[in-house]
Amino acid sequence: MDTPGPRSEQAAGRLQAIDLDETDHGIIDLLRADGRLPYRSIARELGLTEATVRARVRRLEESRTMRVVAVTDIEAAGFGMLLAIGVQVENRSPEEVARELAAVPEVFSVNVVVGAQDIEILMVAEDQVALHRLLHERIATMPGVRRLTPALAVNVLKNQPDWVPFDRDGAA
Amino acid sequence: MTRRTLDAVDRQIVARLSEDARVSNRQIAADLGVTEGTVRARVKRMEEERQIRITAVTNIDRFRHGALAYIWIEVERSHQVEAVAQALASINELGFVGEMLGRSDLLVITMVRSNEHLAEFVHQRISGIPGVRRTESTLGVNFVKHDYRMARIVS
Repeated sequence: MDTPGPRSEQAAGRLQAIDLDETDHGIIDLLRADGRLPYRSIARELGLTEATVRARVRRLEESRTMRVVAVTDIEAAGFGMLLAIGVQVENRSPEEVARELAAVPEVFSVNVVVGAQDIEILMVAEDQVALHRLLHERIATMPGVRRLTPALAVNVLKNQPDWVPFDRDGAA
Repeated sequence: MTRRTLDAVDRQIVARLSEDARVSNRQIAADLGVTEGTVRARVKRMEEERQIRITAVTNIDRFRHGALAYIWIEVERSHQVEAVAQALASINELGFVGEMLGRSDLLVITMVRSNEHLAEFVHQRISGIPGVRRTESTLGVNFVKHDYRMARIVS
């Protein structure tokens, strides 16, 4: 399943991976629930010193194992629409098209796939006008893009991916 | 439900927190030239109104060589969409559950180890949900981008 390109960056990232123990997992769980939890509270919760917690968090961050960030609700950010779009590619490598798609800020997830489609993307747009412009002027005209097969999300019940790679394009 | 959108100051605070949310309110205030109280109040309000969520994102490979799978689900009868969606939302392994218009009735996304794992997951956890008519799965071979700053905050 390994392919050249961004995969190998991921493989390189993996080399720096650190072994996590119970304490690390305890800290990650608490920060997942509340990213602003003070070091003091984490220390109390886990029966550690504050200095230990600080050092552990720093180690998790420096090894790119964990980051504590603000995730913005797409609607609050002004995006009224979320779409999943299948992209068929011709005369160009899907990897190249995928990288070009990844450079579009509204395209927040890009995955090269096998099957009826070559690439699956998740994308947001402010409204119908913005969506039309993005699809037809930006994405459909991209070299290599043959057909777009969109689906519009009308109700998102869950969007809490914990597989997020944060050392990649657009996410760093 | 329409949420209030963020104003310019909110957006500046969020931009700072999107990089590193462990930064202190005092530091953000100093950087933006506003008071610490303003930062604290706005962060609190944005969290309470679910405009932002401050959380740890991890890069732990749950499965070595894991791949993203997109599973499109069609229901028997259209009125069953809601119930099937609710059942899907309770499956821990799914990172995304959406009711869709167009390609299919529902889209769910999960991480799997292999094609076999995907087939097993669909067979054991999804096909049996009452109302599910058929599924179509697509396996990712290269996960190029996922911007964690974009999400639909639902809980």
